[in-house]
Amino acid sequence: MKGIAKWLHERNLFPYALLVPVLIFFIVWNILPLLWMVGLSFYKYDITTGEPLKFLGMDNYQAIFRDHGIWQALSKTFLFVILAVGLETILGMALGFLFWGSSKMPGRRLALTLLFSPMILTPVAAGTFFRLIYDPVFGIANYYLEAWFGLKINFLGDVKWAYPAVLMVDIWMWTPFMILMTLAALGSVPKAELEAAQVDRLPWIRRLWHIVLPHGKFILMLGILLRTIDAFKTMDLIYTMTSGGPGNATELIAISLFRKAFEAFTMGNASALAIISLLIAIAFTSIYLYILNYKERRA
Amino acid sequence: MAKSVRQSLYYVLLWLISIAFFLPVLWIFLAAFKTKEQILAIPPKWIFTPTFENISNMFSGMNFEKYAVNSVIISLSAVVIAIIVSFFASYSFSRYKPKGTDFLMFLLLSMRMVPGAAVVVPIYLMYTALGWKDTYYGIILLYAMFSIPFSVWILKGFIDGVSLRYDETALVNGGSRMHVMFRVILPQVKPGLVAAFIFNIIFVWNEFLFNFIIGGKKVTTIPVALATGLYKTHGVDWTFIASLSLVYMLPLILMIYFFQRYLLVGMTFGTVRGEV
Amino acid sequence: MKSRSLSVILTLVLLLTMILSACSGNKSNNDSSSTSSSSSGSTASSGSSAASSGGEGGSSSLAGKKIEMSILGIGGWVPSQLSVEMSPAFAEYAKEKYGYDVTFTFEEAPFSSLFQKAAASLSTKSQEFNIIISDSQWLGAFAEPGWIVSVNEIMQQEPELANIEWFDPVVQKAYMTYPDGTDQLWGFPQEGDVLVLYVRKDMLSDPTEQANFKAKYGFDLPQTFEDFEQLTIDKFLKMAEFFTRPEQDLYGTAVQYSKEYDYFTGSFYPHIWSSGGEIWDPVSGDVYGVLNTENNAKALETFVSIRNYMPPGAENYGIAQVTEAFTQGKLFSAYHWAAVGAAMITPELQDKVMVVPIPGYEVNGEIKRISSIGGQPWVINKFNDEDHMRVAIDFLKWWYLPETQLEFAKRGGNPTTKAALESPDFDSIQPWFRAYRYSLTESRARDFWHHPKYSELLSIQQEEFTSYLTGGRSSAAETLEVIACKQQQIMYDAGTTKNAPPAACANIR
Repeated sequence: MKGIAKWLHERNLFPYALLVPVLIFFIVWNILPLLWMVGLSFYKYDITTGEPLKFLGMDNYQAIFRDHGIWQALSKTFLFVILAVGLETILGMALGFLFWGSSKMPGRRLALTLLFSPMILTPVAAGTFFRLIYDPVFGIANYYLEAWFGLKINFLGDVKWAYPAVLMVDIWMWTPFMILMTLAALGSVPKAELEAAQVDRLPWIRRLWHIVLPHGKFILMLGILLRTIDAFKTMDLIYTMTSGGPGNATELIAISLFRKAFEAFTMGNASALAIISLLIAIAFTSIYLYILNYKERRA
Repeated sequence: MAKSVRQSLYYVLLWLISIAFFLPVLWIFLAAFKTKEQILAIPPKWIFTPTFENISNMFSGMNFEKYAVNSVIISLSAVVIAIIVSFFASYSFSRYKPKGTDFLMFLLLSMRMVPGAAVVVPIYLMYTALGWKDTYYGIILLYAMFSIPFSVWILKGFIDGVSLRYDETALVNGGSRMHVMFRVILPQVKPGLVAAFIFNIIFVWNEFLFNFIIGGKKVTTIPVALATGLYKTHGVDWTFIASLSLVYMLPLILMIYFFQRYLLVGMTFGTVRGEV
Repeated sequence: MKSRSLSVILTLVLLLTMILSACSGNKSNNDSSSTSSSSSGSTASSGSSAASSGGEGGSSSLAGKKIEMSILGIGGWVPSQLSVEMSPAFAEYAKEKYGYDVTFTFEEAPFSSLFQKAAASLSTKSQEFNIIISDSQWLGAFAEPGWIVSVNEIMQQEPELANIEWFDPVVQKAYMTYPDGTDQLWGFPQEGDVLVLYVRKDMLSDPTEQANFKAKYGFDLPQTFEDFEQLTIDKFLKMAEFFTRPEQDLYGTAVQYSKEYDYFTGSFYPHIWSSGGEIWDPVSGDVYGVLNTENNAKALETFVSIRNYMPPGAENYGIAQVTEAFTQGKLFSAYHWAAVGAAMITPELQDKVMVVPIPGYEVNGEIKRISSIGGQPWVINKFNDEDHMRVAIDFLKWWYLPETQLEFAKRGGNPTTKAALESPDFDSIQPWFRAYRYSLTESRARDFWHHPKYSELLSIQQEEFTSYLTGGRSSAAETLEVIACKQQQIMYDAGTTKNAPPAACANIR
């Protein structure tokens, strides 16, 4: 056995051998299905008709570009990503900073556990229960709104409110993640530099700008990146709450995709949409990583 | 004196914030001990005589044990496999920097970008063709795939943070590469391992769609049981959802409570190895 | 130290073998299934020869065997639940009559995902589910890919099943036939179901309410089943308005408006049909010009206006929400399926609820009412091996025995055989049976398209309907125009109609 490792070493193959398992995963579970998906996107493939595949060329793609609903879903998704990730980041950073000095707080571990609890809740359960919480008749949210402010809001049944309502649930679930990332980012700032700044009596804004941000930036950006990717894919939470409705008020692109694949069972069409949304995701992630690297290189 | 008052106020504020985030979860937890009428009652009932009937009903009905065992087996094996595999890869990325490292790291991240509803179709077709549907290895390896990208990213950061000198010293003393990796490096990246473990298990533990489509009755996990058991004959089965959510969330909550230190350090991606 | 590195490499090897064995695992799976079916090969020949010689004792060769049957049904649905509860009785019957032991396992999925669950399994030719309780509209989608057994073939071998008399031709049309209008059969009715109206009798019979109502609207509150037979939608909406009292937390009625699955559609279609409209032309396959009519637009407006008499949040009401609101005492009446009777009439509401046919529409001076058909057929997995096929057929034979049907009815299921529905005191078995029996006829109830593109047709209109409901579309006419265009396109692509959508459809958004 040691012989194999040695043999690999002599030929400088050891580093690649270490990568083999990951590459197998990557190829079998990512590249293969992806190619399959690309292939399907050129075909008419409706599971429920039992008809053989029919080659369509670019028809599926053309149909998507002509589909007004898809454009609406895309713009709703972009808005969702910007608002959700933006607010989660702002709120998460603010609260993260607030929790920063709390290392001696009694019961801190428990407090943080409670704080992080929303993000471990099963989305299906969260969605179902928020339907109840938002309900105008049985819901606790409306009860207190009415008792305290005299308001009654039909959160999930009103076109104006459904979108903000699902957005709020997402923010509730994922702000804790950004708090976690902020705490980690702050923890990565060397204590010595902070103490030096304290001695120099630098105002806090400059301390933040010159000491905290340069060190914590990478972790924060990574947190934002992960949230961006996941927000773009948001599906089961919203689907449980509204099925994308009322009408198409909360129909994000991942929900359109799900409905094409598993309500209408038009797999070819769904694959084409999947490819398009994947390309979009890759595009804005690369821009993101480019900026991240660019700043790193300048620094 | 004034300072300690301010300090206490500050702590009270932090506690209030934590509790505010916890409230909806608490509401679900409380529901697990209520009757259906109490759950739907307006004004809301915060104080009530708890019933344990929901939880005992849940344990006795619906194959709870089978699904729970599935959840544990599948989540643990998937994440452990992913972490082992990722550890190899990140060691290679960190120490040898093979050609195309950056690109590969990006490609790995792209594994996370594909919307689930999209990729489930081709994976389903592939699994059907290969006969992997409703098998443990099928579902475990799939989840392992989802857990790899983040694990590689986090572990690479940690291994980057371990000085090369450790490797060199050990090699000079006659240790093999394997010895270096498992005996020298591994203990130093423990927070990264724990963070990767927790972060990925949150996803796998709660995953629904893939298990629903490419699983079957053999590998059904709790989230699928939850989604398929949402309705009872008298409407939404609130007591069932609540008690199942409570029981199902507890292991993760305990994990976050007990490994919190590692989680926080782990999320620094290896930039610190002390306390956060 | 060496053992360390050894174990690591072993792990690697293990991983690879796992992947490889995964591939071969496939083969072994197939092997096991083929052996099990070949072992029953002898059963097959003897079974079918026995079946052709009269059907009785056909499974004698199964005697002594232990069979595990798996049924996929609808989660949280009374009638599906009942077959679960009644299965031990079949096990006893089978042991006695055929001499084999059978146990049942049940899997369930909610309405909206049952087909996904079933399709995902059936397309792998798996016999994970031996019998499936499908929604009636899915027959085409199950039959076209060749996943379920043709009932015509079963009937040729099993005269006992072929000779069952159904209560009304609509039973065969709704639960067995695909394509519409042919005599190709694919399912057996498990549960019959129509949309009916649940009304609070205690409120109706209150003398003060009666007097106040008469004073306000100038006609009497209907009291008896016969009164409700004469009730039109206009009068009913007045009643709903009368009982809508938000300050008392009471609302007039409820329908299903949810975007999920077919909830909006199933509740809405009776308004089209009852007012004399159609949803498509099954002969030519056309939707455009049939669906988007003035009559139907008016029906849609009427249906949406019911929201004024519903609790807030009505836009998300589906099966569960209507049941919940009614059983929590917040509704005077509710349009709901006859299948949920057992859930709607809780012990607290016992004797306070009457169940009547849905209100009709006045067409040419006559009251016309056509309800939606709900309910589910049994369909049988085509990939069952001989043993499971045999047991499935024995199970169905048992299911249609008069005793079984009667027991089903007593537990709250809706039987469909003529024998059961025409038994002398059928109406009194359950509070909703009279309304159910009244409505389950060809002239009073209809199912929607049994078309393999059912799901896509449905998905489109669920979105558009709920969009109109919540202000996303400005008019009912526009909504129906959009739906008609899109559905015409689907029918055209599927080859069901020869007419492409008209040019006007190019401008829809």
